[in-house]
Amino acid sequence: MTKEQLTISLNEVIFFFTRAGFGVKAPIGVAEDFARSNVWIAENGFDPGLCSLGALDNIDSQASDLAILFKKTENGGRFYCPSDLYLSSLIASVSVVDRINLGIKDNELVVKNVDFPVLVIAAMGANKCNGLQAFWLDESNHEYLVRFTAEGVWEVVSSDSQPIELSKGANMIIQPISSEITHPYNASIKKYIAANEKEKILQSGVKVGENWQGIYDYFSRCLVKSTAESRASGAGAGMVDTD
Amino acid sequence: MTPDSKFSDISVDFMRSPEQVMRLDRMGSSHQTRLSFMRSLIRRMSNEKWQFECLRRDIDSDGYGVSVYAVNTPNRTYSLIAFTQDIPPNKRTDRVIAEVWDATFSLYDGVPTQEDIDYLVHNTPKQEGGRFRPSELVLARANKSLRLFEHVISSLAKGNQPDIELLSSVGYLMRTTAIYGSGKFGCADREKIANREECRGAFQIELLAVYLIRWFTIDLVEYLAKKRGGNKAARLDPRISRFLGIGNSTGLGMAPFLLKHPNLIHSWVLAKESALARVRSIETPLNGSLEKFMQSLDQVSQHLKEWRVDDELQTSRIERLKSEIESLTNWCNNEINLVKPYPWNGIYQHTEDCYSLECQELVVSLIIEPHGSLVDDLAETMFSESIPKIQVGMPLSQLKVIVKNYYAWAIAIDFTTTKSQQHFWYYSEEKLEPRFGSRADEDGSEQEMPLTIGRDAYELNEVLFSVDDDMLVGEFVLAHPQYRHIIRRIQNTFIMPYSEVQDNLLDESMLPLNLLRFKLAFFGASKFDPKSDLWTRICMYQGAPMPEHLADSGYDDWYFPVIPRGFI
Repeated sequence: MTKEQLTISLNEVIFFFTRAGFGVKAPIGVAEDFARSNVWIAENGFDPGLCSLGALDNIDSQASDLAILFKKTENGGRFYCPSDLYLSSLIASVSVVDRINLGIKDNELVVKNVDFPVLVIAAMGANKCNGLQAFWLDESNHEYLVRFTAEGVWEVVSSDSQPIELSKGANMIIQPISSEITHPYNASIKKYIAANEKEKILQSGVKVGENWQGIYDYFSRCLVKSTAESRASGAGAGMVDTD
Repeated sequence: MTPDSKFSDISVDFMRSPEQVMRLDRMGSSHQTRLSFMRSLIRRMSNEKWQFECLRRDIDSDGYGVSVYAVNTPNRTYSLIAFTQDIPPNKRTDRVIAEVWDATFSLYDGVPTQEDIDYLVHNTPKQEGGRFRPSELVLARANKSLRLFEHVISSLAKGNQPDIELLSSVGYLMRTTAIYGSGKFGCADREKIANREECRGAFQIELLAVYLIRWFTIDLVEYLAKKRGGNKAARLDPRISRFLGIGNSTGLGMAPFLLKHPNLIHSWVLAKESALARVRSIETPLNGSLEKFMQSLDQVSQHLKEWRVDDELQTSRIERLKSEIESLTNWCNNEINLVKPYPWNGIYQHTEDCYSLECQELVVSLIIEPHGSLVDDLAETMFSESIPKIQVGMPLSQLKVIVKNYYAWAIAIDFTTTKSQQHFWYYSEEKLEPRFGSRADEDGSEQEMPLTIGRDAYELNEVLFSVDDDMLVGEFVLAHPQYRHIIRRIQNTFIMPYSEVQDNLLDESMLPLNLLRFKLAFFGASKFDPKSDLWTRICMYQGAPMPEHLADSGYDDWYFPVIPRGFI
């Protein structure tokens, strides 16, 4: 499981990403949701390691923070990190979805300085937050608009060719879908029908690239070194089985 | 669930509660029922007239090489690819950390090409060390019972049948030591096949692989006997081949599975408990059902005589069970006890009042057995596609009530004591083997698996005392994300009350074996043979019809198998 080019299953995404999140000391409930978001990313044909390794690295190196606060505003509310660090997308994603699921009709939710916006998008997708859109300008001046137009249908409008999963550091604005937003000049528009993408993945598996090793390394932190004593606490210890 | 209107209203009154059912000691007394997954799979095979064929047998005179066994269902074909090899005797271990096995298997989705087999020959024998593709549905391995394997071949080669007592004492020619499906090591995700009629039920594709492995082992010994004995060689008497099951060694890996799939577990238990309630609610017994039950008491008495294990505790339980079944038989032979309304409830209630948990659960199985027409539809409900979701809009006042009502067992435990947290569950870096360590004696408790349900519920309850009732769960978890996991679980238990094991899994007295037996009974296993508190051997498909006998009458009558008549 440590090879650079690998095809894995969606079940392995759940297994390894949950524990990778736990490996950087995210609460287990948050790590579980992080893994579900990564399944959604994988089901839509993306390499889940691309954005998620960065998010885990940020927590591990204390470039991001799992602490989050919410402040009500005139139009809705704002999530932000109490420190100067990035707001970790692991905690931002679950908090945004929780807020949406509370059923409060916010005109606008702002997520300040989140490290990997696509993880917030993935959580929204995985939780079927239909009828909403999110847009942001990231720290490298790439502009994105994601619209969840119907159940299982979403589209990405981006200002250039940089893959959405690499977009980093942004203030996201989430609101009900509106036709008022104009597309950036030379915008690229891509529409996804999740069921079609997922069917392809179920037939072919999830291709993960070089970031996989980093995910596996965080996962490995949940493993306990094997010793003579611990070997004896495994089932079947001491047996040679001929019968 | 599709409720049967004739029984559903009244049967609810006969449901056993989660507090009664989901306790480790009762779970560890479970037996197979007619709803068990192997039973329902065999019924489907027979009803749908599945066709079986050996497509390839490239093996040498020692039985080493590659074989392919296919099953044609109404809509598609599945193929078991078996690789057999010679291994050093001292490498033959049932543990996850084993490196070699006598036989390794992949269940392929369709009919494999030579290219597929060329790929798998480099991967399947490596098991966890190989990588698999969505075309592979199951990965498994097995080791021989050296004693029985050679005895059966040499007997058949001489034209004789094997010694039935020896055969009964082992029960199988090979013993599987792992069966992986659902996306493990790159195999197909469950979702790829979940909508196929034959795969919808729990573990159906894994148990199909096991059934094919059993057929392979019997075919293999007959083939090798023929090679050795030539024209003099005999084939196994069909009654003996039917009596041969396939062994299995099960360890700790099953325990985390149970805890990580609460909705699935709820669906299994709800189906079984609904079946029991439907039977208990019958006012006048169906024609012939009591007679069939009385016959099953005779059969189970014989089964208990043949259920011999080394484990002292299980041996004493079997001995007690024998006398309790005898006592129950006498009680049932007294007409006064059965000739009255609700006789099945009377039998159950008498058993619950007078006998051990082991006997109670056995009787549950026996009284469900004659009621296929009443309960078999429930087998179709024993799966779940849902996953627990956090209900952020729930006020904490409601959450507090749920904790109090559904986790009373947890909040009553004093988690400040050493013995209440004696153990911890973890994955070893050694092939990710699940282990159950002692917190005081072993390192690694900081990497504990999140199976600390009771403790987490207890801690949440303590925190909730000081939090405002009007606060919503969504607001609470924003400030306290460490409780997200347990709140989601607790809320889920409120909806699916049979989903939670209501005992402390960290306690000094905790026996993982109870969890294993609970799950294996749902699979349809028999003859539990505990080898320690951590693992057990079992027999699967013992008594089940072989492929050529699936159309025979009595194809479904293989519960609590006994040595076939005429051999003892």
